[in-house]
Amino acid sequence: MTRALVAIRGVSQRFGVDGASVSALEAIDLEIPDGQFVAVVGPSGCGKSTLLSLVAGLRLPTSGTVLCDGEPITGPMPRKVGMIFQEANLLPWLSAIDNVAFPLKLRHVSKPERLAAARRMLALTGLAAFEGRLPHELSGGMKQRVSIARGLVQNPAVLLMDEPFASLDEQTRMVLGDELLRIWSETKKTVLFVTHSLNEAVYLADRVVVLSARPGRVVDDVTVDLPRPRSFAMTGSERFGALKDRIWQHIKRAERP
Amino acid sequence: MRRHERLIVAAAILGLLALWEVLARIGRIDATLAPAPATIVESLVRLLGRPEVRASLAVTGGEVLAAFLIAVPTGLLLGFLLAEVPVLGALVRPLVNFLFGVPKSIFLPIFILVFGVSIPQKIAFAVFTTIFVLVLGGIAAVQSVPRELVLVSRVYGASRAQIIREIYLPAMAPILLESARLGMVFNITAVLLCEIYGARDGIGYRIAAWGENLQMPQLYAALVIVAVLAVAINEILRAIETRLGAWRQRA
Repeated sequence: MTRALVAIRGVSQRFGVDGASVSALEAIDLEIPDGQFVAVVGPSGCGKSTLLSLVAGLRLPTSGTVLCDGEPITGPMPRKVGMIFQEANLLPWLSAIDNVAFPLKLRHVSKPERLAAARRMLALTGLAAFEGRLPHELSGGMKQRVSIARGLVQNPAVLLMDEPFASLDEQTRMVLGDELLRIWSETKKTVLFVTHSLNEAVYLADRVVVLSARPGRVVDDVTVDLPRPRSFAMTGSERFGALKDRIWQHIKRAERP
Repeated sequence: MRRHERLIVAAAILGLLALWEVLARIGRIDATLAPAPATIVESLVRLLGRPEVRASLAVTGGEVLAAFLIAVPTGLLLGFLLAEVPVLGALVRPLVNFLFGVPKSIFLPIFILVFGVSIPQKIAFAVFTTIFVLVLGGIAAVQSVPRELVLVSRVYGASRAQIIREIYLPAMAPILLESARLGMVFNITAVLLCEIYGARDGIGYRIAAWGENLQMPQLYAALVIVAVLAVAINEILRAIETRLGAWRQRA
């Protein structure tokens, strides 16, 4: 077995003070091998985003450990982990290229070097012609591409994506999904992708981790055995439907009042 | 404004001035209370040529500048602290909100008692008048910083200092400048009020004296000078503000 790049071991997360604390995640164990594309789905409020923020080092788990490349995560590790949010969250006063270069600026990389790296990432995400634009001059899909370029600019091994396409329209979402798969196959990142969309999860991922309603536990770990490269036609296949149905049965049970 | 709109406005102003000129000359309006524009312009040129008038303008300008340089950093810093330190904010903000609504002119006699009729008295009163809008502006500026951008910077490993420099300052800049511009309006008003109420020099002192002596051409000329200077300062600050806030999405 290949060594896990991200290992989540016995992780529980509680919020609030002892008396009135709420359990968000309980006894999560996940081993994610290098280069795998993992989607995380689950009913609303099941702690999917909390799980990502633990891997991002934005908070520490109440118990258990999260390891990245064998090293315990105790804070943000920008060179190993890139993160993309639901909203693009670009700095509105910086041009597209300066936004992409921003993580490098924080690390005091020289200006020519960071602009060159940012330009490569904009080319990868198909925005080479828009480097000088301010965020408010870009469409929603283009902003999210800039955000993906920013997530990749330090060449991190892990890319965390927290419902990155949720605020985009259906067509843009599909186009960006294919773009993401292309970028993933070119860069070989390990992706942890939180989504509400079962279609998106099955279409994009190698593996879908299903969490239960709060407190979130892993209730299923589905290997998506559809061939790559994925194509839109597969979404109508019997296998695609069967995988989606298997995941849906868990969610349905959890969402029932 | 489009070009032809500007032409119409300019023509309307010129027309009104011409009408005023004619009415004053044929005696249909009282030239003692409203002297003809040509008389005012003549007086304006004469005033600007007199060294003691220029010295008075310099005194007023110095007071305004000193008060601005004290009030702006102090007020904004206080606002920043009130927004970022919750305990402090809870204690002091109700007081600031209350005092913001009180007309500051009623405190002028106290300032005269404490500082005497002096330049420090005018600067102190102007700072007192100006600082509230800056404190509130500082609070609003901090609150305008998008929390999610702070979160993004943390994910990318930003230190506290980097978050202040890369996120807080650029995000707050447009509101900080807007507060400074509003503060300047309060500031100029306060200094002139002090000078008109009681002073030994300054353009406000001269305006009060000319008014008392019914020297209307001089009075109107001084009003023109003060108005032009105040509008010029306001427009310069607004131009900087627009430039630094160009990233803000236009409606």
